[in-house]
Formats: sequence, C-alpha cells, structure tokens
Amino acid sequence: MFQNYFKIAYRNLLRHKGFSFINIAGLALGLTACLLLGLFVYDELQYDKFLPEGERVYRVYNNVQSEESTDQIACVPPMFGTTLKEDFPEVETMLRIIMQPWEGQSLVEAGDKKMYEKGGLVSDPTFFQVFPLKFIYGSPEKVLDDPASVVISDKFSDRVFGTADPVGKKITIDKESYLVKGVFESNPKFHLPVNFVVNIARMQLEPERMKSWGWQQFYTYVKLKKGADPALLLSKFQAETRKQIDEETHQPFKYTPALQPLREVHLYSASFKYDQSIRGNITYVKALSVIALFILVIACFNFVNLATAKSLQRAKEVGVRKTIGASRGQLMLQFLGETLLLTFISVVFAAALTSLLLPSLNAFTEKEMAFNIFSSPGLLLLLLGLLLVVGILAGLYPAVVLANFKPVSVLKGGLAITNGPGKTPWLRHSLIVLQFSLSVFLIICAVVVYQQVSFLHNKDLGFNKDQIMFFEMRGDNMYKNYETFKTELLKNPNVASVSIGYGFPGDATAGDGIYITKNGERVSHSVTHLMVDYDYINTLGLKLVAGRGLSKEFPTDKDAAFVINETAVKELGFGTPQKALGQKMEWKMWAEKDTIKKGEVVGVVKDFHFKSLFDKMDPTILQIFPGANWKVAVKMKSSNVAGGIAHVKNVWDGFSPEYPIEYKFMDDNFEVMYKSEDKLKTLLWIFTGMAIFVGCLGLFGLAAYAAERRKKEIGIRKILGAETSSIVSLLSKEFLKLVLIAALIAMPLAWFAMRKWLEDFAYRIDIPLWVFGAAVILAGVVAFLTVSYQALRAATLNPVKNLRMD
Amino acid sequence: MIQTQNLEKVYRTDEIHTTALNKVNLEVKAGEFVAVMGPSGCGKSTLLNLLGLLDDPDAGSLVFNGTEVAHFSERQRADLRKSSIGFVFQSFNLIDELTVFENVELPLIYLGVKNPERRRRVEEVLEKVQITHRMNHYPQQLSGGQQQRVAVARAVVNQPPLILADEPTGNLDSSNGNEVMDLLSELNRQGTTIIMVTHSEHDARYSHRIIRMLDGQTIMTEVTADQAQVTLA
Ligand SMILES: Nc1ncnc2c1ncn2[C@@H]1O[C@H](COP(=O)(O)OP(=O)(O)OP(=O)(O)O)[C@@H](O)[C@H]1O
Ligand SMILES: [Mg+2]
Repeated sequence: MFQNYFKIAYRNLLRHKGFSFINIAGLALGLTACLLLGLFVYDELQYDKFLPEGERVYRVYNNVQSEESTDQIACVPPMFGTTLKEDFPEVETMLRIIMQPWEGQSLVEAGDKKMYEKGGLVSDPTFFQVFPLKFIYGSPEKVLDDPASVVISDKFSDRVFGTADPVGKKITIDKESYLVKGVFESNPKFHLPVNFVVNIARMQLEPERMKSWGWQQFYTYVKLKKGADPALLLSKFQAETRKQIDEETHQPFKYTPALQPLREVHLYSASFKYDQSIRGNITYVKALSVIALFILVIACFNFVNLATAKSLQRAKEVGVRKTIGASRGQLMLQFLGETLLLTFISVVFAAALTSLLLPSLNAFTEKEMAFNIFSSPGLLLLLLGLLLVVGILAGLYPAVVLANFKPVSVLKGGLAITNGPGKTPWLRHSLIVLQFSLSVFLIICAVVVYQQVSFLHNKDLGFNKDQIMFFEMRGDNMYKNYETFKTELLKNPNVASVSIGYGFPGDATAGDGIYITKNGERVSHSVTHLMVDYDYINTLGLKLVAGRGLSKEFPTDKDAAFVINETAVKELGFGTPQKALGQKMEWKMWAEKDTIKKGEVVGVVKDFHFKSLFDKMDPTILQIFPGANWKVAVKMKSSNVAGGIAHVKNVWDGFSPEYPIEYKFMDDNFEVMYKSEDKLKTLLWIFTGMAIFVGCLGLFGLAAYAAERRKKEIGIRKILGAETSSIVSLLSKEFLKLVLIAALIAMPLAWFAMRKWLEDFAYRIDIPLWVFGAAVILAGVVAFLTVSYQALRAATLNPVKNLRMD
Repeated sequence: MIQTQNLEKVYRTDEIHTTALNKVNLEVKAGEFVAVMGPSGCGKSTLLNLLGLLDDPDAGSLVFNGTEVAHFSERQRADLRKSSIGFVFQSFNLIDELTVFENVELPLIYLGVKNPERRRRVEEVLEKVQITHRMNHYPQQLSGGQQQRVAVARAVVNQPPLILADEPTGNLDSSNGNEVMDLLSELNRQGTTIIMVTHSEHDARYSHRIIRMLDGQTIMTEVTADQAQVTLA
C-alpha cells in the first residue's frame, strides 16, 4: 500500500515539475531561514547555561530613580557584597569585580614577549567558585587567594606562552609582577569577556572606601544556598539598604537594589548602564524568533494554497480510488504522506543550505554556531519534529479537502464542485492576505529600522569626530610631562590641535555630583564631568552659545572655572545660557579627600552627543582637572593623516618607548556603538527579502494555477476579441485586491511595533508616512509582476490550442 | 441480489430541485445481465451510482444481498464497494500516474491481498483481457479500446459478484466496443451479475433484459433474445 502511495507521490512530483519545484523551493527556503534564525536565537539563549549551579547565582544591581526615568546600574557599592555575605545566611558565596574599562589594554610582559591584553578582571578571590570555569592547568581551589596570583585564559596562555604549561611562571602586567596560578578555558557563552583575573587585594583600596554605601563601582554576584528564596532575600536586603544614610545629603540613598538571575544577564541587560558584559538584546531575539515563525508560516501557507489549488487535478484519482473502495482515512493518509515526502525533501535541502550559509552568518554575527546533524541527536530530533509539524500542518487541510471529494461529482466532469463559478475560495484568499500582511509588516519594519540606523550614524552630534586620533597615555614619563608631550605632538604641520583629559566622545565618562546654591540652599545635582584642557573645545569643534571657552589668558580658569552644556543650564535651573554665566558651583574633587573646588560658570556650549543616541543628553560640566589627564585626542589635518600618525608614534616613542602605542580613531568608536542595530538592520533586510520571495513563489504558483484553470475562458475571450492587457488585468486584479487588504491589516501593526522599538532610543526618527505607501507599492508591484507573468503567458497563448485541449 | 423500493434521488442546487430518480422499484437477480436504457438525462447514471453506493438516495430502500444498505455510512459503503462491486465507466477513469499493471493491482491493494498472490491475480486477469503485453505502459499510451479493457480488468480483478458499467462502449468505435461487450458477456457467463447503462440497442442485445427509463422512472422491462416478451412496469 505504502509502496503504491509512494509511487504515486513520486510520479506526481516528476510530472508537475514546476509545482514541485515551487513547493520544495519555497518550503526549503522558509525552513532555511527558520533554521538559521533558530540557531541564532538558540545560541543567544545559551549564555551562562554551561556553568554548573548557575541557577543559584544572581547579579546584584541598582535601580536608580531620577526625575523622569529609572536607570538600571550594573554596579553597586562595595558594602552590598560585604553585607550580603556577612548578614544573610542564604548567601553561600559572594563575588565583587571592580568596574574598570575591560576593553582597556594592559601591557603584559613575559620573558622577551611584550603585548597588550584586554579583558583583565580585578575580582574577589571567589571568582572561580561563583563561575566554575573549566581549568586546563592548575586547579580552581584557592587559585586567587594570593594577591600576587593571576589566572589567565587559554587564549592568553597561547599568545604569551605558546603550548607550554605556564603555571608557576612570572609575568608582569602593567609593570607589576604576578605569578600564573592557573589557565581556564575561554567559553564564548560566558557573559563576562574575561581574559585574566587578578585578586582585588592587589589594588590596595583603602579599607575606608570599601565601607562605602555610595560608591557604585562593583559588579556584584551572589550564589545562594540550595533552596534559598531570592525574593525573600532581596526584600530583606532592600530593607537593610534603606537604613543607610548618604553622608553628603543626609538622606537615604536614591537606589533600590535588585537581583538578576545569572542566566538573564546576557539577554535582559540591554538597558543597563555601566554594564560591560557581552550583552544581547531580548527584544531582538524575540523579533528574530517572530520573523522566523512568520517565514515558516508563509511557507506553510504556500503549501496549503498550492496543494488545495492543485487538488482539482487529483480529483479523478480520488474518484477512482473511492470507487474501488478506498476509505477517506486511507486517502487522507496518502495525501498527508505526499506532503510529508515533499516536506522531507525540503528539510533535506534546508539542512544542506543551512550548513552552507552558516559560516557567513557566523562571520556576520561573530558567533561560533554549529549545525552538525550527524553528531547531535537533538538537532536531528528537532529536524524530525519540524518535518512532522510542518508536514502535518501544511498537509492536513489539503488532505481533508481531497479525501472529501465525492466520487460521483469528480468522475462526471473531472471537476470538483468545491470551486464553482462565483464562489470565492475563502481559505486560499485569507491565506494570501495573511502572507502579504506579514510581508508588508516586515517591509515597513525593515525600512523604519534602516531609517533609524542611518539616523544614528548620520545625526549631527554637535561636534566633529573626524580625523581625531585617540589614545591613552602610558608610562610615568608621559603622565608627568604631559605638557611637553602635548607641545611635541603639536610640532608637526599635519597635527591641527591636541587635547588631553578624560571624558572624550565615545570613550568612558565619569558621573559625579555638583553643588549649586538654590534659594539660599546648597543642593547636589548629579552631572557628567568631562575633564578637559584649554584645547578641548576647539579640538572637537564644539560651539559656544554663551560666554567663552577655557583659556590660559584667564589664570583663574585653571582652578575656578566651569563650562556647562545647554542641558545643564536647563536642569540646574539657570534659565538661559546668558543667565548661567557667573553662577557659582562647587565640586568635591577626586582623590584628595574633602577638598572642594569652587568656581563659576564662564561659558555654555551647545549640547553635543558624546554618548550613544540611546542615552538622553546628560547635564554636563567641562573643567580643568589635570589629575585626570589620561587620554589624548589629536586632530589631524585632512591633507596628510598618515604623516600625522607617524609623527604621533615618533613622539610617543620619545616618551614611553617601553609601551607600544595603541590608538583608535574617534569616529570608529561611534560606529561600534550601533553595531547590534546595524546587524539587526541587515538581518531584517535579508529575512524580509526571504519572506517576500517565499510568499511570491506561492503567489506565482497560484497565479499559474488560476491561469491554467481559466485557460478555456481566456481562449474564448480572445476569440471574442479581448486584448492581452484586458486579460492580464482580469487575472491580476483579484490578487492585487488581496495585497491591498493585507496592507491595511499590516500597517497599524507595523506602526505599533516600530513605535515600541523606537522608544528605546533617546533620539529617534518619526516614522515617516511614506514608508507605508512605499511598502504597499512594493508589495503590490512584486505581486503584480509575479501574477502578470503568468497572466501574460496565458493571454498570449494560442486560443485555439487552449480550447482544443479541453 | 439487488432490490430497490421507491428509490428517490433529488439534486438540489440553489433554486432548482431536479428529481433525477422518482420512486424506482427494481429487482436484479444474481447472475443476470441487465441493460438500462433511456433518453439523455432520464437518470440512468444516477441509478447506477445509487446501486453502486457511490451516492446516497434521498428516500426509499436499497437491499444488497439481503442487507438494507441505503443508510450505510461512508466507511461501510467503501468496504462493500471494495469487496463486491466493480465499476466500468464511459471515460475509462484510469489513474494516469499508474501503469496498466498498477491500475489493475489497486483494488487488490485496498483489499489487502499480499504480493505473490496479487501479482498472480493481476497477470491472470490481464491475460483474460489480452493486454499483458502492455502491462507496463501508462494509460495515455493505450488506445481507447485497450484502456477500456484495462478498466474492465480492474473492475473484475477482485472477482466481485456485481459489475456496474456506465456506457462502457460510449467512447469506442464498434469493433473495440464489441470486444468489450464480448468480455462482459463472458464474465456474465461465468456468474457475474452485470448492470449496464447504454444508448446502443446493439449492445443492449447482449443482455437478458432491458429496463427502459424516462424522467427518473422505470417505464418498462423487456426481455431480449429468444423470449420476446414485454412487461409493463
Ligand atoms: N450533480 C448534479 N446536480 C444537479 N443535477 C444533476 C446532477 N447530476 C445529474 N443531475 C440531473 O439529474 C438528471 C439525471 O441525470 P443522469 O446523469 O442520471 O442522466 P443520464 O440518464 O445518465 O443521462 P446521459 O444519458 O446523458 O448520461 C438530469 O436531469 C441531470 O440534469
Ligand atoms: Mg449518464
């Protein structure tokens, strides 16, 4: 029996090659898109799952309430960890990692090797207890207890020591010596981009500072005991933190601590501030999952549509089989089997195509996803599941339709009664509408995302980031003689200007308080501090809207002058830029305890976006503070950038030859800010394209079928004198109507979805109305071209031939 | 073998009700060869479809081998067709995707006959209709007469006691038609009951008895050949 079914299925496949091709190609493409996106989504969901007992680990973060919003801050004060460990029996282990820029490079020297390594974590010694990474050399127990020990990643080890076992070897990191105690295996699914770990004791932080409840500088993790209730722990801990008083304001702190499960850190921290984990974005993961589902649905609908349309051709067979005594169940089984066969072929193609395309996706997403059916039974099972689900989903309806044909009616004329003249094939039309709704939805989203991403890249940031070479100073000589260093840098015709400080666009900035007097009362206000020099404003091309920039000509500028931005004018309540001039401000200086810098506002600059456009503009204060002269920005003349770079390297070697120079260009920092949006954009375009293509394949098949069905009608019309164009429009009108309905359904949904997405950006485009028109036109044109090809073919065929065949 | 009592079939389209069969009473005994004749549209095919359980009557009774089958479920009807009734149609109705052999084999597959036996029986019946040399051809590669012989072979391969034929020679020229009629006569001689719809007086003469229909009713039965006897229905 099955042999017979298979025979029929196989011969049908060959007989209707075009149909089979459209079916298989559409489904295979749909499945491929689905598999690729599925792999991506699966990969994103795997972060930190490899860590044993990770379900008991939580990250402690702070919700900080400001005037208009709540910010999640990934770093918390040191006392959080201390208190959690000491006063809460639920906590088994606690871990703090100090917040430093992990992207920052540390100079590593071992023997005659000298190189920069990033990803250095300064941590409590409990690191490998909370994160039991696999050790290649050494053992994780007590590996960090000695302040002079360092544990390095396998990659670090390979670069510095080659294949040898480095345990027991001495290295220096930023001129301090350490003993390698162990090598752990890097895991791409670990949310911390860790390359090496040293003990926090090495920093010799003052014990006094470690007792702070306000110094939010530590990534803090707790591992709870088995069975402990994190919600209960959190509420007790929150009560504890509410008792603490801020010495500055004599009020409770403005934060509320919270716990985040370790396995959510990667995907659910997109909006966190000061988070340096390898972060994904659950919104994007969800969006891509939905798109995968859309494409699969579109492909399945194709299948249903084509199969039901084609079913008329199978009517006679059904009639004969029924006459002979086949039951409905047997027929359903047969047709379901055929769908499963087609699906099976599609799955095989999809699997092959997926393996083929995966390397590109890997390269694009910087992932290491694997798709090896033969070595992973889970994947095989998944494919099998997909086969069954898609096969049954797509095959059931046509099977029921076919099996329900009445032998008498189908044998009589060879035509079924289900689709008489004047009857609308509701199901088929609804499915087309749904397919095109999804396509129009995706088109609109793709265009809006594209617009927003271009906006991010092209928005006038209020400063000029071009041709600015940017690097961190190294070595005592450079730090101490920064002024001569700067003078030397300027001694080249290709260098336009140089600024030294801390708080350059695209780089780390510091947040801190400022004191102003309001209605006779001294109040603190949190602002962003940019530590600058006299050349910062002209190096970046900032615009002054009131007053003047900082200048050597005013001796007081060194210790008693502030320049603020427009947002600060507003938020500090100065009214207008003019009125801000001369306002008094006080700042508790860094490093020196309890020294207050007093000064007044001498100038106001136009707002400039030194951070990404996700963040709203902070009130910002620019001031001279040589204690933070760490970074250098060199503005080149556009004529000979290479010459300028060569000169900078030369000067560098004159000051710190023992350190290799590591530099970037400032605009690159901005490019990488929107990396995940760039990727989303590209993925969206690719998969929208695929969705449309798959949908059109189906439409193409349906149009072919419609033309075939109406061959006789078209023939008669032509004999009666119909023009080709009137026949094309006869066939196309029906489909275009459907596309229009689809567009009407999709537009409001897309509008809502995109508005939601755009809300994440502090600076965003308004959804342009033309997008909707364009999407409809695009979908319409594509549909029209698809359909009219078939219509034209039908219309230009010799009518006599058509009639004779009937 | 078959008795009908007041068998009725009404086709309902949106506005028009067509009474295709109007209170038909009829009996066919085992071993008979009956021809049904009448003008186009008088309900011959409809009658045959009802007798063959391809369609259900709107009223009346239909007894097959002593069992009332008028209200049989779809599944029961399929089972009965499978085991007891063979069909031959004017337009052959062979499955184009299957070869001659596979077409004939089909009823046996549905009956669950296992392979060596199945093959033997198919070959035997193909031999009988003299089409063995073409058994691996597809229907489209055969002449009309050959196709109809295959259809007959398919109808009889599971040795049903009853064969229903709707204008089996309608699409054939006279020599091909005669071949098919000879085949049916031969089957009848071997014991198969045959009910055949035809427009041809010539073909009708192969039967024992002719039932004449008009406007959905049987109007008379005439006995053919030696007994020239007419009974009014
Ligand atoms: N599916 C149907 N829907 C509506 N009316 C039908 C249907 N099938 C048959 N009829 C009507 O029932 C009547 C009997 O039809 P039937 O096919 O039985 O005639 P027939 O005697 O076989 O004719 P012919 O010799 O032309 O084959 C006709 O009037 C026909 O129009
Ligand atoms: Mg008829």
